[in-house]
Amino acid sequence: MATRIFLVLIMAILVLMIATFSLSLVEKEEIALIENQEGKSLNIVDDLYDIEGNQIPLESLLEGKVLLNVWASWCITCLVEHPFLKSITQSKDVKLIGINYKDQSFNAEKYLLENGDPYIFSIYDLSGEFSLKLGVTGAPETFLLIDGVIVSHRIGEVNMEIWNEKFAQYF
Amino acid sequence: MKNLRNIFKIIIIFILPICAESLYENLDSEELKRLNYLSDNIRCPKCSYGNISSSNAPISKDLKEEIAQLINDGYSDDEIFNLMEERYGEYVILKTDIDDNKTLFLVPLMVLIISILLVTTYTIKKTK
Amino acid sequence: MGSKLSYANFSVLLIACAYLAYQFLQDNFSFIYVFENSSNLLPVFYKFSAFWSAHEGSFLLMILFLSGSLAVNNLLFWEEKWIPISNATIAFILFFYLLFQIFTSNPFLTFDILPKNGTDLNPLLQDPLLAIHPPVLFAGYVFYAVTFSLVIAGLFRGFDKELFKNLKLWAGISWFTLTLAILLGSIWAYYELGWGGYWFWDPVENIVLLPWLAGTAFTHSLIYSRNKILLSWMVFLGISTFLLSILGSFIVRSGILNSVHSFASDPSRGIFLLSLFALFAFASLGLFFSKSVLLKSNWPELISKQYLLVLNNIVLVVILLIVFLGTLYPIVTEVFYNQKLSIGPDYFSSLITPLVFVLIALFLAEQFLGYLKSNQRNTLIISIIIASVFLFLFISELNPVTLGLIFVALALIILLLRALVEFFSTKDIKVMHKILGHFSVVLLTFSVLLNHEFSETIDVKLKPGDEIEFSGATLKLESINVEGQANFDSVVASFSVLESNLKKTLVSEKRVYKIGGVITAETGISSSLIKDYHVVLGDRYQDGSWSIRYSINYGIMMIWISSILLLFAMLYGTIRRHGY
Repeated sequence: MATRIFLVLIMAILVLMIATFSLSLVEKEEIALIENQEGKSLNIVDDLYDIEGNQIPLESLLEGKVLLNVWASWCITCLVEHPFLKSITQSKDVKLIGINYKDQSFNAEKYLLENGDPYIFSIYDLSGEFSLKLGVTGAPETFLLIDGVIVSHRIGEVNMEIWNEKFAQYF
Repeated sequence: MKNLRNIFKIIIIFILPICAESLYENLDSEELKRLNYLSDNIRCPKCSYGNISSSNAPISKDLKEEIAQLINDGYSDDEIFNLMEERYGEYVILKTDIDDNKTLFLVPLMVLIISILLVTTYTIKKTK
Repeated sequence: MGSKLSYANFSVLLIACAYLAYQFLQDNFSFIYVFENSSNLLPVFYKFSAFWSAHEGSFLLMILFLSGSLAVNNLLFWEEKWIPISNATIAFILFFYLLFQIFTSNPFLTFDILPKNGTDLNPLLQDPLLAIHPPVLFAGYVFYAVTFSLVIAGLFRGFDKELFKNLKLWAGISWFTLTLAILLGSIWAYYELGWGGYWFWDPVENIVLLPWLAGTAFTHSLIYSRNKILLSWMVFLGISTFLLSILGSFIVRSGILNSVHSFASDPSRGIFLLSLFALFAFASLGLFFSKSVLLKSNWPELISKQYLLVLNNIVLVVILLIVFLGTLYPIVTEVFYNQKLSIGPDYFSSLITPLVFVLIALFLAEQFLGYLKSNQRNTLIISIIIASVFLFLFISELNPVTLGLIFVALALIILLLRALVEFFSTKDIKVMHKILGHFSVVLLTFSVLLNHEFSETIDVKLKPGDEIEFSGATLKLESINVEGQANFDSVVASFSVLESNLKKTLVSEKRVYKIGGVITAETGISSSLIKDYHVVLGDRYQDGSWSIRYSINYGIMMIWISSILLLFAMLYGTIRRHGY
């Protein structure tokens, strides 16, 4: 008798478990593991410089719609999304600013020379500290800022599909 | 041939991402222990597995350095955990809080106690 | 007839596997599966192991193993009266596995064109240990399907002496194989960077631990169920072990938990596997439910070996429950609260460590049960001694880990002394495998605690030629070189460690794979019985120096040695009665 009660209990637990699993499978609506940074505002502590070493005026980041793209010459996926970035700056009124992430300045310059430069300028972030505080976990990543507030954040490559899903509504 | 090899050498070394900061020189041994504890209990946000102390991803190195800086600035362990949780979400915190997850701790304990009690009382009854 | 069919089934599957393996060796990239998991730069050994590097091939391999064990079972035990039921059970499982393989995971699909090269085997898997780890693991899973079929046969035909003999044989083999698989994975995780050492309580590791824990409880319960003591509990454990191994397949292959191990997820596969799990679970538990009245179980006496074994089973099942809850809890929060969280090593080790001490204490008590029972005075004296030792230790304000170390060391000494006394007084050790097995578990616990308590890590920045002193040893970065291999280029750093005039060389690498450009790090390790030196080459700084992670890990070699001793004990304990 005790065995039977125990078995019924186990089967009830099994039913609950299988129900949870099926919900999880059906709902498999990609919940990102790492929270994206949407809703947070840009908080700049240190002075920023571009690849040539010129200081960057902070207003250029904090005013209006700014698309921030994290890239590096060693990053292969960045090279893949590069043509898309170029096309989007040509076809739409997009203010695209780069963050050159953990890169040698001469490698970065060579990369832009070879592949074209869609960026108004690129923030030179050798140590990765600026990016780290922004919540970047690697390259490539893309942020859309409106008046200094992050409204959209993509971790990974941006292509037409992702653009339509995450960014197009703001342009 | 040798020249070619040298060029190749340089290319390989330069392909790798580089870093530019030094490694936590300002921490004493007690603070280094805290750094190790914290980085053992924070997940590498870029990887699908492992904490930041065992991962070689650039982001893990950076986070470890940032944590070292925060320790240096006088932040407590809890404040650092909170900061990381706020930036990357709860997923990166490997330390499990007892108060938030009582079932996780209580269920095994209850099962252990109840089953031992049941078995023992039943055995005593049977023996008599 | 049944046995002939099982041979035919195995032969056909073997031909199918050989055909796929041949495509890998021939670099036939028109097969999608070959294209995705191999390349022509790959060494031949990895071209072969690429066979089971992804979902489709590994599942096919598992089916081949299942069919193989079916054939072996028929070859050896054809005369037994339980074989028809066992065959029917395995055939039932095989049928659904094959359906799953054909309809959701066909590895024989081809392109119309012939691509020039494949997209390469995941660099992580290009490692000798990780090449053999999966087949061993699948074999362990599959062997537990055989024990399951025997348990089901017992439900129909009754558990007699012959069936028990075979159950013990298969349970022992499965237990051994699964333990070996876990050990291989653990050794790999130790030297591969980013895997948090030899054990990290990651979902994939836990998923393998679940059937292992159930299997451990199962093997122990087999000892007393021969005398019909708690027979139905043994049946339940036999069924659970198999179900937990299926659950493992479901979780890893559906991508429901995020992990490096998870294969490319495909919802239809997940649903199929979940349905299979539900089918097997309700069919077997329902069968158990309907037959449970027929099982006559006896109940053990208080303070007897059997009673201690019941306690052992309770503790093992609670450990299982902890691992189960900790692993699946994130799925529950995700579904019901839309919240991703991680249950880290902290949770598991803080809850499980005390329970492991309890297990050790139970075994010690079992060793001295004779003294405990013989008369009341002895019991009193022993408990007073134990209580005073503990009281003394607790009063002395040691930290819990040190306390644990002392306890486990005491247990080790007691077990060793007891074995020696027995050996010198009777020139023989009864149930050798049992003493050795438990001794190695205690030694393993001791080594793990040692590792936890004394290991140290430091991050340093070195230029070639630089030295650093840490924890009594001097680490020197000798040189940095670049080397090219067929499928990757690597930066090779040579180190030397000097401790009391003993010099050791270590080599750590950073590899850039030619296809896909993946960067991996290879650690440099120099081992001795007590401690390991462990270096990892990190990033390069602009001034030409490199960041280096340098650790001194205690007890790692002892962990491996005690695990290997445990494996020996399992193997010997399994085959000794069968006269092989």
